[in-house]
Amino acid sequence: MAKYLIKRVARSFLTLFIVITIVFSLLRLMPIEGYFSNYDKMSPEKLERELARMGLSDPLPQQLMRFYGDLLHGDLGVSNRYRAGVPITEILRTKFPLSVAFGVASMILSLLLGIPLGAWMARRKNKWPDHLGTVFIVFIEAVPSAVYYLFIQMYGTDIFKISMLFSRDNPRTWILPVISLSLGDIAYYGMWLRRYMVDEMNKDYVRLAVAKGVNSKDLMMKHVFRNAFVPLVQYIPSGLLLTMVGSIYVESLYSIPGMGGLLVSAIQAQDNSLVQALVIIYAAISILGMILGDILMTLVDPRISFVKKEGAR
Amino acid sequence: MDPNVILSTEDLHVKFHLRGEILHAIRGVSLDIHKGESLAIVGESGSGKSVFTKTFLGLLDVNGYLDGGHIWFRMNDDDPDDIVDLASFQTEKDWLRIRGRQIAMVMQDPMTSLNPLNTIGKQITETVLLHNQVSKEEAHKRAIELLTDVGIPDPERRAKQYPHEFSGGMRQRVVIAIALACNPRLLICDEPTTALDVTIQAQILDLIRGLQKKYHLTTIYITHDLGVVANIADRIAVMYAGDIIEVATCEELFYDPRHPYTWALLSSLPQLGIKGEDLYSIAGTPPILHEGIVGDAFAPRNPYALEIDYIERPPFFEVSPTHKARTWLLDPRAPKVDPPEYIRKLAERRASHA
Repeated sequence: MAKYLIKRVARSFLTLFIVITIVFSLLRLMPIEGYFSNYDKMSPEKLERELARMGLSDPLPQQLMRFYGDLLHGDLGVSNRYRAGVPITEILRTKFPLSVAFGVASMILSLLLGIPLGAWMARRKNKWPDHLGTVFIVFIEAVPSAVYYLFIQMYGTDIFKISMLFSRDNPRTWILPVISLSLGDIAYYGMWLRRYMVDEMNKDYVRLAVAKGVNSKDLMMKHVFRNAFVPLVQYIPSGLLLTMVGSIYVESLYSIPGMGGLLVSAIQAQDNSLVQALVIIYAAISILGMILGDILMTLVDPRISFVKKEGAR
Repeated sequence: MDPNVILSTEDLHVKFHLRGEILHAIRGVSLDIHKGESLAIVGESGSGKSVFTKTFLGLLDVNGYLDGGHIWFRMNDDDPDDIVDLASFQTEKDWLRIRGRQIAMVMQDPMTSLNPLNTIGKQITETVLLHNQVSKEEAHKRAIELLTDVGIPDPERRAKQYPHEFSGGMRQRVVIAIALACNPRLLICDEPTTALDVTIQAQILDLIRGLQKKYHLTTIYITHDLGVVANIADRIAVMYAGDIIEVATCEELFYDPRHPYTWALLSSLPQLGIKGEDLYSIAGTPPILHEGIVGDAFAPRNPYALEIDYIERPPFFEVSPTHKARTWLLDPRAPKVDPPEYIRKLAERRASHA
């Protein structure tokens, strides 16, 4: 297992290295306007001087090496236009934790509600709880999230008597964004858990368990639920990490100063350094999510093993 | 109920709702299962043999239901009055008194009968703990004993392994160990060897036979393979279209069969075929069970069918105290019909051996 992990992590670093190199190199092809907020008014000499100061006149390999050197020290460079002159780590320092907090909260809520929903639907398959759940899932999956986000904001703020906008100090303003963020995942977990549980319930080992006298509660918990949850386990880390990077729409609805809209703003502002920093973060997070998902799978399912076992048939 | 009878069905009817129609899968079966015997139920696919035994455990699929009849079951050998009607059971609580602890089941496909995420040891101890008031350690000890009993070498190590680390034959042994862990009085083996290759089949059958003696079990084998039956069964019940059409001891059924369907089944046995001759096969297909069956269900495929076979369902005629068959040919008024040459040869062959 340790050997496999080392290999796997090493390979992830290789992937990350390739991603960074490609993104970095491609961004060097962008017009240099992106580096300056007052490009139009600058003389050619001043441009030369500024580019040299930022190290952008050096050959590409040299720039790349420098970038990697900085990266190892945790330095992602300086924002060019989004907030000119401010270190990117400084920009992220306030935004990232906020998005993480929302991500974690909505993940917990969606697991807390989505799993019982799926299990409840599966146990009462083709009865009214199942139909009711299906209506909910179809609604959430089929209606564009923007529509129900708006409704939640409109009516939710009325019901809870809170302002439309998020404020860090008022814990009640967390409620609506977290609900909005988790609805999609509640439907996702509900739908797939129900489906996998129904699959499991029709399997022979469940029949055998019934025949040997396992009561229906134990049957559901110890056999059906656990086995049905395995395929979902792989998705959880990626799901968690991806919600942590923020949702553009929810964050802008409640004007939460999170990560959500940052990439779009950075691209619009042609802020090359910020774009490359964000792409690196997103790539790293996706890769991490996949590794964690695979590791979790091996922990819950003995059939999946990364090491060749001796004497295995 | 005869004190030797452990389970007795009485005019049992099972129906299924299927795509808006009603399928009459078991059409009034009455059968006694004797204590300590090994009874085989044979019949082709779809004849209802699995469904019949599933009713003993309340394991019918959700669209299936009992439509009349009784399943009397003796709960206790020492108390002749402790008899329950399984057909009247409604709640899970009722069934939990029966499932596992009284009647256990070994299913057809060992590759899928075990929970892939639990160790073998855990699946056996789970069952031991369900039915016995013992500590975890004792249950584990019992699990190891059971694994030894079913012939799994190195049981301590094997108990820690998962089903995918076992071959098909080994898994079936584990399934048998689970069935025995319940300490049942009646063991139903639903085609226990169908999914296994021939050499393993014989081993598994031997194993079940041995365990039957050791644990004083009554066993029911469901199979479509008469060759398997000859090896293991004391008595054979032949099932056709949801009804038992002939019951006899193993001897009687093979050497003095009476029902034309049994003749046809025996004639199509490849093991008994004659070299150079075409293997016999039964013409036609089994009846569709949602159409009301009038008379003898086998009549349309039966070359010996009488006119009455199309009009009235035959009753059981007794050939000997242990042998009865549902065919009008046994009626004293029926014309004398000789069994096919092939069946006569079988009897002659045996006479010459004796």
